[in-house]
Amino acid sequence: MRGLPVLRVLGGLALGFLAFLLARSGLGVPLALVLGAVVGAAGARFLPRMALSRVLWAIPLFLLLLFVAIQLMFLAPGDPFASEKNTSAAVREEQGKKYGTLDRSFVGGAVFFRRYVENLVADGYMGPAIKVEGRSVTELLLPALPVSLTLGLLSLVIATALGMTLGIRAGLKPGSLADGLGMGVSMIGVSLPSFVIGALLILVFSLKLGWLPVAGWGGFRHLILPAITLALPYAAYIARLARSGTIEVMTQDFVRTARAKGLAESEVVMKHAFKGAIVPVVSYLGPAAAQIMTGSFVVETLFGIPGMGQYFVKGAVNRDYYVVLGTMLLYSGFVILFNLLVDLAYAQLDPRVRERG
Amino acid sequence: MWRTLLALLAVFGAALGLVVVTFSASAREERADLVFVNGTEPKTLDPQKMTGVPEGRLADAVFEGLTYRDNDSHRPLPGSAASWEVSPDGRRYTFHMRKEARWTDGTRVTARDFAWSWKRLQEPETASEYAYLLHCVRHAEAYNTFGAQVKALRGDPAARERPGQVGILGGFRALMGAGTAAVPAKDWQTFLTELAVRDTVVRTRERALVDAIDTTTGELGPDLLREVGAALERDAGRREAELADAKAHFGVDQGAFAPDDDTFVVELTAFVPYFLDLTSFHSALPAPRQAVEKNPESWFREPATCVSNGPFRLARWEVNKKIRLVKNHDYWGAREVALETVDALPIENSTTSLNLYLSGEADWLPATYPPDLIDQLKGRPDFKANPSAITYFFRINVTRKPFDDPRVRLALSKAIDRHLLVTKVTRKGETPATTIVPPMPGYAPPDSPMGYDPEGARKLLAEAGFPGGRGFPPFGVLYNKSEGHQKNAEFVADQLRRNLGVEAKAYVAEWQSYLRNQTQLDYDVCRAGWVADYRDPMTFLDLWITKGGNNNTGWGDPLYDRLIGLAGDPFALEAAADEVLPKLAEQDRTRVLLAALSAAKTPAERVSAAEPLRMQLFREAEGLLVKRGHPFIPIYYYVVTNLVSPRVEGFRTELVQPDGTRIPNLQDLHPLRDLRIRKD
Repeated sequence: MRGLPVLRVLGGLALGFLAFLLARSGLGVPLALVLGAVVGAAGARFLPRMALSRVLWAIPLFLLLLFVAIQLMFLAPGDPFASEKNTSAAVREEQGKKYGTLDRSFVGGAVFFRRYVENLVADGYMGPAIKVEGRSVTELLLPALPVSLTLGLLSLVIATALGMTLGIRAGLKPGSLADGLGMGVSMIGVSLPSFVIGALLILVFSLKLGWLPVAGWGGFRHLILPAITLALPYAAYIARLARSGTIEVMTQDFVRTARAKGLAESEVVMKHAFKGAIVPVVSYLGPAAAQIMTGSFVVETLFGIPGMGQYFVKGAVNRDYYVVLGTMLLYSGFVILFNLLVDLAYAQLDPRVRERG
Repeated sequence: MWRTLLALLAVFGAALGLVVVTFSASAREERADLVFVNGTEPKTLDPQKMTGVPEGRLADAVFEGLTYRDNDSHRPLPGSAASWEVSPDGRRYTFHMRKEARWTDGTRVTARDFAWSWKRLQEPETASEYAYLLHCVRHAEAYNTFGAQVKALRGDPAARERPGQVGILGGFRALMGAGTAAVPAKDWQTFLTELAVRDTVVRTRERALVDAIDTTTGELGPDLLREVGAALERDAGRREAELADAKAHFGVDQGAFAPDDDTFVVELTAFVPYFLDLTSFHSALPAPRQAVEKNPESWFREPATCVSNGPFRLARWEVNKKIRLVKNHDYWGAREVALETVDALPIENSTTSLNLYLSGEADWLPATYPPDLIDQLKGRPDFKANPSAITYFFRINVTRKPFDDPRVRLALSKAIDRHLLVTKVTRKGETPATTIVPPMPGYAPPDSPMGYDPEGARKLLAEAGFPGGRGFPPFGVLYNKSEGHQKNAEFVADQLRRNLGVEAKAYVAEWQSYLRNQTQLDYDVCRAGWVADYRDPMTFLDLWITKGGNNNTGWGDPLYDRLIGLAGDPFALEAAADEVLPKLAEQDRTRVLLAALSAAKTPAERVSAAEPLRMQLFREAEGLLVKRGHPFIPIYYYVVTNLVSPRVEGFRTELVQPDGTRIPNLQDLHPLRDLRIRKD
């Protein structure tokens, strides 16, 4: 025995702790502890070392992000209680005391940080939403999360499917009509802003034809237009990536060998072109998924969707400190998670990477 | 590799399938009778804590005050109070509660609910931004503000920083030292600013203090210092005494109190002819004590805990999705309420709002639509516009050179062609404004020299020492981020450049920064707007009192302050006539009205004679503003617009006064209680 695998143990602990934090509001402390222990142990045993090291690093990273974010936020002029009707200093002081935002100096920021982390770890509490009275940040984000995730998931599937199809088609016959058309569409998708695409779709399908609702959330019909609008720019970019990946792989020697050996063209495509195309796409999907899942402010306001995107923007505009921190933690979590998934997928796709793992 | 991809695809597919199933399974909900776009997600439904129009619309539907507004005239009708008497001098109101009025949990709505709610409004812990609206009630101002002021004067050991701990009195003693040396005015002014003395001793009656505060040059000698010290001490003592008095009596047996369940008594300290209108304002609505005490932060969030007493009650609140109200069948006037369900959509985006209306998913769209479409929308029969009591203007920072010269300020105002702005830029049919108070029944504004007169503007500027704009420093015209404001600010800057030859440049700040710049006087010229809280000139004119919380220009004039104070108590003019009248612009007119007041014998006659005198005092005060002070540039009076489906009945853009005259629906209030959907 080489001795205790330190990384596995620590990684497992970190994983278990994070799982506990996430589960505690839903399951209560004892059950969450059990869940955390199970997840941590399973992760320590089965996950590759890279994954565990990522999880381990995530904790100090979150802490650092929180601290820096708090200090930066406090530097911005204004406060959550500013209004056109000039409130008296006494009123603002009361409100500042209530929310703990009275002292916004560096030291005040450190105190705020400590209190925030304490609340987070001890109670799973992410603070009150200052601008939405009577609701905590968790209560605000929790219903919005599945909305953004659903919309994001559907958009991601559409984007990947559409993008890969267009891109591989184009890459197989560079310079052909398929290529020109595909890349032309992709150019439009990348250049037209989402509110233009969305508005056009609403104009045609909702206002003129009446097939789909104009805005809102509540049925499958409400998903279609926003998902397409959200997907198009990503589909466009994925198409380009898929195309260049395809071209690169199709010029490789082993492809010519495969053709020479008499493999059917379709098999060549499926086995090799696809593989070539997917590698650049997968590495893009990581950050893209994080972005798409946390909601797009533009699409959400245009279609009146109660997702998370608006909290990012409104939180900042309103100086709603707790909301900003909450959304930031969520987004960072997604980025770390999806990048990890991407790297794991890479290890599967490209054996050369696996060696280093 | 294939297996991994297949597995991934399977997971994706399963997740998607789950989503589709959940969606299709979610109950198909019936459309509400009336759906309207409410502009934003309401921050709260707590009557004492709310500030915005979207919140107000919902509160008016779900709660009922002592009175409610008649749909055709907006005059106050008996709501939670079945009847009332007013004392002859107009200072004491006795309300008799409606016996059948009920909360949605079945308990009676009593006078004690109102006493509790009105006291809660003034409670410093409630931190209500609208507490000042009911400061005309006896003890209210002391209860609400003196606590903090006394702490500022005497020192508060719990204060964050040392000056706060020592207090103004302590700081003053340190400044005075042994009391033998004089204190330079500069040090004195620094002391006043650092310790926010002016805000703390606001409306002090100590002459010595008032005079000393105005001393900006020279020095304060030892004798004066001793007088000031004694004045501060007396002022602190007075506030302490009044605070103690308020704490003992406010809401108990004085101010606004309930001698029994059926009677609610209000004592006023000022002459407030519009008091009954205030009783339907959202800050004066009752909050359900039984629910609030159980759940102070979020009682209004869930239908189960949102106990209310109005024509509607909260059925569902889905954050950022919609708020559904349903008719309250236990409401005493349920027979008069036509709508069964109402949905309020919290959409902010102007395009989305318009789309919802055009596709028929919303029946009423108050104001939010893309401003560029105004020309297409104007011609539609369902587009309703009417003038309103909202003024659009620009503030001028009077503390910055060269804007400290009134000639410069007047020149700026005279250089703007407002007619061009409203016909070519805003195009809603707004009325160009040369005074700050929008047209209101009963009020005759003074003549104003602030209108468009480029020649006169150039002359004034030359007189001030900047002929042709030469030598005038470049300055900025600040506005907050919005399409409409940008166009207006650019227009104003352009007019100033064109007509005066000065270097004016429009610049934008995001909302929070914009507010901060305005309150901290960190601007040159700054875009502003003000909505009437109630239909009386006071709501526009009390903005400009010296160091007023919403003044934000640095301008002040003791005579102006005096006039506004007298408008709150016109009877006091009888004693002060010799002192005040000679300073007035329309002395004779005022004298006649004052004589009528003095001639009136019975209290009722005195009250009715006081009303026109009060309006004349407002006219004088506004005269000072537009003829002498001009700390602002009035631009136009808003036109409020609504897109209303023809199915909706009861929507009034015009009101009929008791005397038969017609006026616009100046406050743009459309109570849900009286809206109906035509069923055809």
